[in-house]
Amino acid sequence: MCARVPMSRFASTVIALMVILFMMPQLAQALPAFARQTGQNCVACHAGGQFPELTPYGRMFKMTGYTIGRNVIPLSVMGVVSDSSVNNTSKSPDPHADFQKNNSLIFATGSVFAAGRLTDNIGMFLQWTYDNYGSQSADGSLHGHSNVDNMDVRYADRFVSAEHDFIYGVSVNDNPSVSDPWNTAAAWMQYVPVPSPTSSRFIDGTTPYPGLAAGGNIAGITAYAFWDKWLYIEAGDYRTAKGSLSLFSAGIPKDGKTKLKGNNPYGRVTLSHEWGAHNLMIGATAMKAKIYDDPLDTSDPLSVHRFRDVGVDAQYQYLLDPQAITVQVAYMHETHRYPYFLADQPMQDANGNPLPNTNAVDKTRTFRIKGSYIFDAKYGASLAFFNLTGTRNSAAYDPTPTSGNISGNPAVRGFTPEIFWTPVQYVRIGLQYTIYNKYNGASHNYDGAGRNASDNNSLFLYLWAAY
Amino acid sequence: MQSHGDEEEGMKGNRKIILVLGIALAAGCTNLPRSRDLGNPNVAGATLAQQVCSNCHGVTGTSVSPNMPNLAAQQPAYISAQLKLFRSRERLDPAGFEYMWGISRTLADKQIDELAAYYAAQTLPTQRPEGSVASIDAGKPIFNAGIVDRQVPPCSSCHGPHGRGNGNFPRIAGQHADYIVKQLGVFQRTDERPEGAVMKTVAHKLTPSDIASVAAYLQAMPLE
Repeated sequence: MCARVPMSRFASTVIALMVILFMMPQLAQALPAFARQTGQNCVACHAGGQFPELTPYGRMFKMTGYTIGRNVIPLSVMGVVSDSSVNNTSKSPDPHADFQKNNSLIFATGSVFAAGRLTDNIGMFLQWTYDNYGSQSADGSLHGHSNVDNMDVRYADRFVSAEHDFIYGVSVNDNPSVSDPWNTAAAWMQYVPVPSPTSSRFIDGTTPYPGLAAGGNIAGITAYAFWDKWLYIEAGDYRTAKGSLSLFSAGIPKDGKTKLKGNNPYGRVTLSHEWGAHNLMIGATAMKAKIYDDPLDTSDPLSVHRFRDVGVDAQYQYLLDPQAITVQVAYMHETHRYPYFLADQPMQDANGNPLPNTNAVDKTRTFRIKGSYIFDAKYGASLAFFNLTGTRNSAAYDPTPTSGNISGNPAVRGFTPEIFWTPVQYVRIGLQYTIYNKYNGASHNYDGAGRNASDNNSLFLYLWAAY
Repeated sequence: MQSHGDEEEGMKGNRKIILVLGIALAAGCTNLPRSRDLGNPNVAGATLAQQVCSNCHGVTGTSVSPNMPNLAAQQPAYISAQLKLFRSRERLDPAGFEYMWGISRTLADKQIDELAAYYAAQTLPTQRPEGSVASIDAGKPIFNAGIVDRQVPPCSSCHGPHGRGNGNFPRIAGQHADYIVKQLGVFQRTDERPEGAVMKTVAHKLTPSDIASVAAYLQAMPLE
């Protein structure tokens, strides 16, 4: 039987969220760390108040090292309560495992931040996240788990006169592009935390975003400069987080840590311009990364996956109170070279029929565009389109129902409309519906068990609050 | 198993990162000439204007976004008074509490006076017109002569024949039209700016069309 979204269940969830909202007046009236530091409202730094997307002022706040304002206790907390609902759970042999907590209101994640100015030139943005369902026992039960999240400590200085404006800085961080001031950067375009239970496996946060293969929990240092508010350049290098910087992968299970081989360069350049209430940025990103296949065994220097990511992105904002309009576009081309023992390997399907040998190199192209409108920093709507295409590879062949891929084609395509409401500036309630036209290379029967892309369509309701 | 060579290589890299961070920390405790510390009364007003205020109002007090008012060549008494009203939270309009309460909350009187002097000394260039020619033309007689039938006095009677302001009466010539429209709305419909109570009476009988016209004229006004 097809388990369509039970709207009465969702209505009760909405009511429950409202109750939670009105039970936390202290939360609604208090200020997160950066706002306490500057004394300003969220809307000063976040476009239409929709954190984390930054306004021109918010970008300057970040590029000048989070140092604007006065010294305060630099602590904040954040939490997400959510409810995910997958369109069709009937084609799974084990819906309980494949769609954990489906149609259930859960406390998904919470974060603690140490964020703000330390000196006139040094500031930090450190996030530690607790995932209420972050680990799973052998019996399938879910447990909480916490680990390091975004980490950015930076030094910045600014030389400004009537003729020129020059900002430079150095960032030590755990995630390439987390230091970036633009929200089309790989680390920032996807923003709502994704709950771990498998009912959230198809929500928008899991759809293709133009990202960098190296991801988080590594350690890097980058230097950046912003010249006359139009040219931004950043370059740096990343390595495995260990030794004195092992904090940058703290809490990540040993078999989940990203182990890099040697130096892994990262570069970023953007051009931006502001005129009237408008501002526009176009940019490019590149990174090369060598990631060990097995983080528990890095003894073989040839056992690395070699990635080369090259991306372009753009962002347009129209910000004139009480309206905020944003358009974001990002495209990433990734080349993935497999280690010798995974390349050119024989494969066969579930019936024992031979498949082509596995590829030595895969290429993927990920595109995303999103437009959003917010009125009065309270009422907002957005529409996103995503499209991933790439090399067909027998290595991706997987006949597992729900998650499988019988074509070896990684293609995913779809839309996500969203509406959201910010009743008070530190609380956002959002409702996303993600619609798939293609999943794992096909519109129909992508897993060989009869599952269609549209069966994965997912409704995601969240309440996101910070203090 | 982790290779010994790779481990050593990684440790060296991490030591370099820590060293750079340590040097940066040691170098960055105070930097009065380029500080963005709003809680330090020793930071000069001009420094705050360049390091903090410029992010919205421009380095020379000419803002790019109409969301933020131009401050160049503004009357220093007006700037001082407004900053003190933001600081004491007596100015209650959204532009005040969203952006300016926090920025001003710990400013010392001396810094406020320095900020006022900094912006008063800047030159405001003639602005590219934001409104239509028809709207600008319709605003000119309101500025110069008011609207006699509705007892609306001319703007020039208090703000001067060139809109430059005087003392606590602000310069309005060359101001962003959107800012003028919003502030006239605040005066007309609210009590969020009690210090400008006189403007409530003045703006009382202005129609939305009048407000748009006079704002367009003020924004495009030739500056001398």
